[in-house]
Amino acid sequence: MKKLFLSFLTVTVMATLLGLTGQAVWASSIVVAVDTPPRTMNPHGSDADANLSVMANFFEGLLQRKAPTGELLPALAVRYEHPDLLTWKFYLRKGVKFHNGNPFTAADVKFSFERLGNPDVSEFINTGKSFASIETPDDYTVVVKTKDPIPWFANNMHQIYIMDKESTEARDPGEVEVKPIGTGAYKFVEWVKGSYLKMVANEDYWEGAPPIKNVELRPITESSTRFAALVSGQADIVSGIPVELYEKIVENPKLEIIKRPARRSIFLAIGNKPGSPLADFRVRKAMYMAINEGEIIEKIMRGHASPAAQIPDPPTIGYNPDIKRLPYDPEMAKKLLKEAGYENGFEVTLSGPNDRYVKDEKIAEAVAKYLAKVGIKAKLDVKPKSIFFPQVAKGELEFYLIGWFDGTFDMGRTYFKLAHTRDQEKGFGGFNGAAYSNAALDKLLQSTADMVNPPDREKTLQDLNKMAMVDQIIWIPLHYQEDLYAIQKGKGIKFQPRPDRWIVFKEISKQ
Amino acid sequence: MFAYITRRLIQGVVVLLAVSFICFIIFIYSGDPVISLAGRYATLQEREEVRKAFGLDKPFYVQYVRFIANAAQGNFGKSYVSRVPALGLIMERFPATAELAVSAIFLAFTIGVGLGVLVSLKPYAFRNRLIMTGSLVNISMPTFLTGILLIMIFAVYLRILPPFGRGETVDLGFWRTGFLTLSGIQHLLLPAFTLGMYQLAVLLRLTRAGMREVLTEEYIKTAWSKGLPPRKVIFKHALRNVMIPVVTMTGLQFGELIAFSIVTETIFQWPGMGNLLLTSIYEGDQPVIVTYIMLAALIILSLNIIVDILYAFLNPKIRYE
Repeated sequence: MKKLFLSFLTVTVMATLLGLTGQAVWASSIVVAVDTPPRTMNPHGSDADANLSVMANFFEGLLQRKAPTGELLPALAVRYEHPDLLTWKFYLRKGVKFHNGNPFTAADVKFSFERLGNPDVSEFINTGKSFASIETPDDYTVVVKTKDPIPWFANNMHQIYIMDKESTEARDPGEVEVKPIGTGAYKFVEWVKGSYLKMVANEDYWEGAPPIKNVELRPITESSTRFAALVSGQADIVSGIPVELYEKIVENPKLEIIKRPARRSIFLAIGNKPGSPLADFRVRKAMYMAINEGEIIEKIMRGHASPAAQIPDPPTIGYNPDIKRLPYDPEMAKKLLKEAGYENGFEVTLSGPNDRYVKDEKIAEAVAKYLAKVGIKAKLDVKPKSIFFPQVAKGELEFYLIGWFDGTFDMGRTYFKLAHTRDQEKGFGGFNGAAYSNAALDKLLQSTADMVNPPDREKTLQDLNKMAMVDQIIWIPLHYQEDLYAIQKGKGIKFQPRPDRWIVFKEISKQ
Repeated sequence: MFAYITRRLIQGVVVLLAVSFICFIIFIYSGDPVISLAGRYATLQEREEVRKAFGLDKPFYVQYVRFIANAAQGNFGKSYVSRVPALGLIMERFPATAELAVSAIFLAFTIGVGLGVLVSLKPYAFRNRLIMTGSLVNISMPTFLTGILLIMIFAVYLRILPPFGRGETVDLGFWRTGFLTLSGIQHLLLPAFTLGMYQLAVLLRLTRAGMREVLTEEYIKTAWSKGLPPRKVIFKHALRNVMIPVVTMTGLQFGELIAFSIVTETIFQWPGMGNLLLTSIYEGDQPVIVTYIMLAALIILSLNIIVDILYAFLNPKIRYE
């Protein structure tokens, strides 16, 4: 017993000493509290932005996107060519080493691309299954051929991370899921799930060692606790500030709010099953005009959102500046309904998630109330996202609230997924949750599939967007969210948020 | 005694089977894991391929029988989210929850029973009435509110205790403990108090009621009149007879503390099993949820059996035939 006590004592003393020596190293360190815990350290294991964001520090893609605009820049590839519709040729950066010392070569790229198609380790099945062949003529060239033309192929390369072939194959698969080895600006130190993820600067990083040497990422899911961590000085940067606490932080002299318009737009998708009132364009227009979006932004979002007239945000290819919101006009809405023969209204079920977007449930409630004012009885059916999204995927809904942004900055992929008629064979319309179908729209969309020339592509996607939002009203746009971060003032932290909400630590500096 | 325990064990297995079956039925109706497993941009065909790869295309009873067969061998399947064995994922979080629950029950038991005895001696003193009113507040206040209030007071305004997390921990190889560092203990105080507060109030009231009844008994009067010191009368003669319901309550509640510390763990970002459960529910990670519920059922069942056995030791009059 005495021995046991002594060994405990030794451990305690050692731990304290380690803690003390730790202090000096932490001089150039930063603690970041985020709202979503990382799910896995396997860079292909989750396509959620919260996880991709963390992985961007350990791993890199062939290309990368940088704050504040999200511009696509070279990373592990120095440049690429697109000689024909199906072929993509990447010239790799020389002299890059993985954290374990292995050199980065074309074999690693081939290995990583092939890994994407394996459902046991990857959520990027779609990308993984799109390759027809991957060839490596030499150690620093990769030639990829895709089965079908994918105009946005390169735009996706910032989130397809490259792993070390040798160590990934040699290590136990369970270890690969928890101990990342990449080429990124930070090396993995320790991950205690639910507590913290620690990383240290990669001094040999090819862009130069990052300014902050030690990073501790702390997931705090409860927003009031995240706020307490910030106010008590335990976190330097906090993401996901709830709109209710905004004023409190602005009033606090030690804290600073950083905000930027988010890429994600929130909108209502409407089905058009033949014979249902929703198939009538006048009804769709009436529903659009019945919703007081200005009031939603002011009262529910407390001003932290901007009105949207379409789904893509301005930097996305296909954003059409000519599209304007229809005005809020309940009288006009009533008139349109009368014209359509629905003077006494009709019933519709409004579905939506209640744990996914900022104030999602409250927005859906407000929409139901606005619709009731013009006589449409919207039955509210909000539920957790784990139940809601599978229903969207199955196309079982008639009218629902959802949010979206496309990581590729190209509207094409999103439209095939959300607006094209559901087609099991071709794999289109997988998230067309109300089974919307319009032959003209499908045809125009299909014509963009092999359109790569940027001006043509942009023009056609803009036309397509106009057709969807103005001529057909396939969706009722509501607003773009606003991302809110808070940082400790006076610590000299320089932090620029990114459009994709990722927090990439090499882009942060501290004096 | 042996026959009794065997019977209890068999009952336990039946309950576990029932629990697992109910879990499975619930999951059939609670969303499709394939949607997230295949990724946002998977086509309908690709989703079906993933469904096959995970065996989710099989009929319900096949999936269930396979699950039970695997579970009997200690294999509860892999998490859909982290893609590592679900049981390992939960056990990794077990030390945090166990330490929190032990501390909570320790606080609740010592303070609850201590105050209960104190209050029972002079039930009408002003101070003791205040304690009783306080305990009522404790019972009625939701854990969530208590936690937030404690964080606001001690972490944000007074800044003497940290608001979240476990602090510095020491990894003993099989067990990551926060008991061995000052920071670990500091981090433990607020959540342990939050978690144990309800139990504290219950134990306090239970002890008080029992003590008040026992103190009027003839044998206590005898003990006093024999001239025994108050310490002996109160603790040896009176309290010992009050302990049976108190220990039962403590035992039963301990299981619940371990299994259902979800709210406290979420507020304090305590990296325990409850926290994991909530995250898993948000992400629809079915293998982890099922494993957790089975494990919780197992813990509560075993504690019930242990409490029953402890009874016999505390009160030799109790016999199991």
